[in-house]
Amino acid sequence: MTEPRNTKLSGQTAKASRTVRATALATRPLMGWRGVDLITAAMLAVAFGVVFWGFDTFIYPFLSAATTGFPPAGELMLGVWLVPAVAGALVIRRPGAALFTELVAANVELFLGNKWGAAVLLSGVLQGLGVELAMALFRHRRFGVVMAVLGGVLSAVFEIVLYEWQSYVAEYSSVWKAIYLGCGMVSGALIAGVGGWFLVRALARTGALNAFPPGQEVREPHSA
Amino acid sequence: MSHTPPDTVPPEGALTGSALTGAPLVVQGALVEVRDLTWRPFGRREPVLAGISLRIEAGSRVLLAGPSGSGKSTLLRALAGVLATTETGDLTGSVLIDGSQSAGSSVGLMMQDPADALVAGRVGRDVAFGPESFGLPRDQIWSRVRSALTAVGFPYDEDHATKALSGGETQRLALAGVLALTPRLVLLDEPTSMLDPLAAGVVREAIVSAVRDSGATLVMVEHQLSDWVEEVDRLVVLDPAGRVSDDGPVATTLAMSAGSLAAQGVWVPGEPAPRPLDVARELCAPARPGGPTGRVLVSAESISVTRQPRASVMSANRPPTVVQALAGVDAEVRAGECLALVGPSGAGKSTLTTLLAGVGAPTQGLVRGRDELLAGIGANPPEAIHRWTSRALAARFGWVPQQAEQAVVGRTVRGDVLSTSRRLGLDDDAAQARVEGLLEVLGLSALSGVDPHCLSGGEQRRLALAGAIAHGPSVLVLDEPSVGQDRLTWSAVAGVVVAARDAGIGVVLATHDPLLIALADRRITLREGRIVDPAVDSVIESPPSPAPGAKPAMTAPAGLAGLAGRSGPLSLLLVSIVLVLGAPFIFNLRMALIAIGVQIALAPMVLGVGRPPWRRLLPGLFAVASVSFSNWLLSPGREVSTGALAGLRVAFFVVPGVLLASRIDPSELGDHLGQRLRLPARPIVATVAALYRFEGLGEHWDQLARIRRVRGLGPSRSPLGRGRSLAALTFGLLIETLRQAGRMAVAMEARGFSSAVTTAPRRTWAEPAPWRPGDSLMLALGLIVAGVPLLLSRL
Repeated sequence: MTEPRNTKLSGQTAKASRTVRATALATRPLMGWRGVDLITAAMLAVAFGVVFWGFDTFIYPFLSAATTGFPPAGELMLGVWLVPAVAGALVIRRPGAALFTELVAANVELFLGNKWGAAVLLSGVLQGLGVELAMALFRHRRFGVVMAVLGGVLSAVFEIVLYEWQSYVAEYSSVWKAIYLGCGMVSGALIAGVGGWFLVRALARTGALNAFPPGQEVREPHSA
Repeated sequence: MSHTPPDTVPPEGALTGSALTGAPLVVQGALVEVRDLTWRPFGRREPVLAGISLRIEAGSRVLLAGPSGSGKSTLLRALAGVLATTETGDLTGSVLIDGSQSAGSSVGLMMQDPADALVAGRVGRDVAFGPESFGLPRDQIWSRVRSALTAVGFPYDEDHATKALSGGETQRLALAGVLALTPRLVLLDEPTSMLDPLAAGVVREAIVSAVRDSGATLVMVEHQLSDWVEEVDRLVVLDPAGRVSDDGPVATTLAMSAGSLAAQGVWVPGEPAPRPLDVARELCAPARPGGPTGRVLVSAESISVTRQPRASVMSANRPPTVVQALAGVDAEVRAGECLALVGPSGAGKSTLTTLLAGVGAPTQGLVRGRDELLAGIGANPPEAIHRWTSRALAARFGWVPQQAEQAVVGRTVRGDVLSTSRRLGLDDDAAQARVEGLLEVLGLSALSGVDPHCLSGGEQRRLALAGAIAHGPSVLVLDEPSVGQDRLTWSAVAGVVVAARDAGIGVVLATHDPLLIALADRRITLREGRIVDPAVDSVIESPPSPAPGAKPAMTAPAGLAGLAGRSGPLSLLLVSIVLVLGAPFIFNLRMALIAIGVQIALAPMVLGVGRPPWRRLLPGLFAVASVSFSNWLLSPGREVSTGALAGLRVAFFVVPGVLLASRIDPSELGDHLGQRLRLPARPIVATVAALYRFEGLGEHWDQLARIRRVRGLGPSRSPLGRGRSLAALTFGLLIETLRQAGRMAVAMEARGFSSAVTTAPRRTWAEPAPWRPGDSLMLALGLIVAGVPLLLSRL
């Protein structure tokens, strides 16, 4: 048979998933990204770029009006920008998936014109690394809602502590910085973590993720 | 699709220019041996391919036929070695190309939708993708590109923008991209099914002559057999169970199985045209009386539409081109009549359907709902139908868009079709009965509990039709409703159209399908956005050749001066980033003012002299203001200077960063990251290809919003309603994105995207990534400016 390039025969995917409870995993080797992994992660990121643009026009005017009086509340929306990292991780399930997806999404913002300039790239890296750490803590074997929530929280912590505290909110008092961080963590947990997990599961149910482990969990649940 | 330029036949002699010549790509055709091939995707009980064995001699030309779902495309993907790219499953048996299991560059696959294969912004670079993937040296890449473009009769040069191509031209470009691999086996998956008849003819000729000249073995899948039987020498028929049911020379095989193929729905040459199915009129009746037959329901009065291109990640420096989609068009939709909109691709048919359905707004002129439609809409309804509320519009209109697969609004097939009736508060039992009837007629009953996203393209189109008519609209607007239908489902679709018309609905059809046009009562012929006299129009069958100078080539931005204009993308990016890293060292207002003063002093030299691009800068300036305010508010002492310091610190990197980034071309940046920084090629190439989809995905987003509006599901005014709408649009967009990514992956893998990982040498790059003295100067300046705060803090 013409072996699909750079993938193991897919039958082995199913066997691999049988051994690891309900979680289907990516084909081995874990770092052997398939072409479809790269293209899908990049396309997801670009699509989130479109969504963010829609978010700005649909929702943001309401929120920015609401948060002018209490700026840290704006950080309750941080999770929206972290969803690409969590979704990339949950779909691709390989080391680097969160970082790559979030970084491409940041590039979309950079080229489209944005309000933070090249700082979005730095944010993208930090946000991606937060989710990468969460994946690594579960040894790239668990991709449930707990991993997603932890990823969302760590992503927010990396972004705020390593970057936003030094720039956007550098002069806040310590108490306000802590409140700001808390708002970001809650948002990362709920919007990026829980929201991202529900999103990927819903996408898998439509058959759109059939080439990926979440699609396999839906289609062959008995083998998983 | 609706506003692409019309397809053109290349003018005689256009291809002999020096830029477009190259050695012909001649190969020895491949011998293909398929042995007992079986494939069952996970989640399906029955295999899609069941024990297929075939021997295809070198240089022969084979047509694969069979009813929908018989595994034709799947077999083609198996031959290309990309079967498992987008699906997982159980695979047994073997495919040997010239006795070898690894296909490599010897196999080329061309897909149904020409847009799926696009990976670059310029024609030459797109064709170069395959040769790049297989690591050819630069001079060979370009000679391959020229030869391939010549072979398909491409009318433009290598610098032509891929965005400006019509569907037919894009498909010829995709063919050139396949031929540039010099494949010994060429695989074509319904290469003309998405094109209008004129464009399809041109593409067919390009395929026939290019493949004949190259000597490659050809295997193709087609629904419409009649166009191809002359061009192939063997016909292989698959049955619904995924087995070979007939195989042999075209004429004899066709004579033997024409009857059974036609009965299974295949469009077979020589069989009489199918008739519209007899559909009960009650299933299609309008909910509100539309007045006597011929009464005008909607009138479009001298409407024009001009389009500005939407925001793009790829067009930072390019002047926007304005497209005139419609110019001074009048049209009337009348109760109980069927109006056909005809004309070549890009003539404005789809644009006109969106206006007549109230989901698009004219730039000039007015589309009005007339008296019968206005009943019950409330006092003083807006004159223009595109200003009506989502519910008012949904109660009176049904619309099937050209991309019907995007029209999904429910979780199950039944729920989807019912959703508008429920939103409008119609009697639920009656609505359910009507929905069941429609699903039965359209062959979707067995699927009524299934997620609509799992349906095939043809099924989704019929689902969209059911959803558009189930709630009893008075006007039904259908854009290409018969595309992708076999003989049997065509009859069902045509039957619904006829029944709707006879029940008093005003029906509008935009279509290329001659059988469907024949059912219409009136006809409007469009060409280049204007109504033309059909009598005159029928004479002009060959479209005009492209006007010289009208080619929208991607030229270097004019009028950019300054060091940044002469710098490459890498130095611009690096400078933007070092400024971010320098900002935290600004500790007091004095430092901030000096650092920004240095930037302002350097600005004319770096950025050139001219008006600043305020539209790009505005969000950044707003951000600076909001950072200043919040830091003042929440800082311990509430000093004004504290807020100012925080704002200026951000301004230090935001303003120059935004201005420099606007001059980076992402595709050039990719070339530089790959060649200068030696970053892994595949992630870069995937990212650049994905960035080119941004605009298309944005259009998709707009289309989803239109569909929800005409189905009565448009956003309400409350933030919560808007949030819900946003979530639904996001979900729809992501599904389409994932599907597109899968098809892209197949097309890119077929052109060797991942080959460098396993066999071939490193990927090469068709274009150089020079680092010039200007780049060094730019980077040095950036480091100095970024270092100013650090320097000051040491003094």
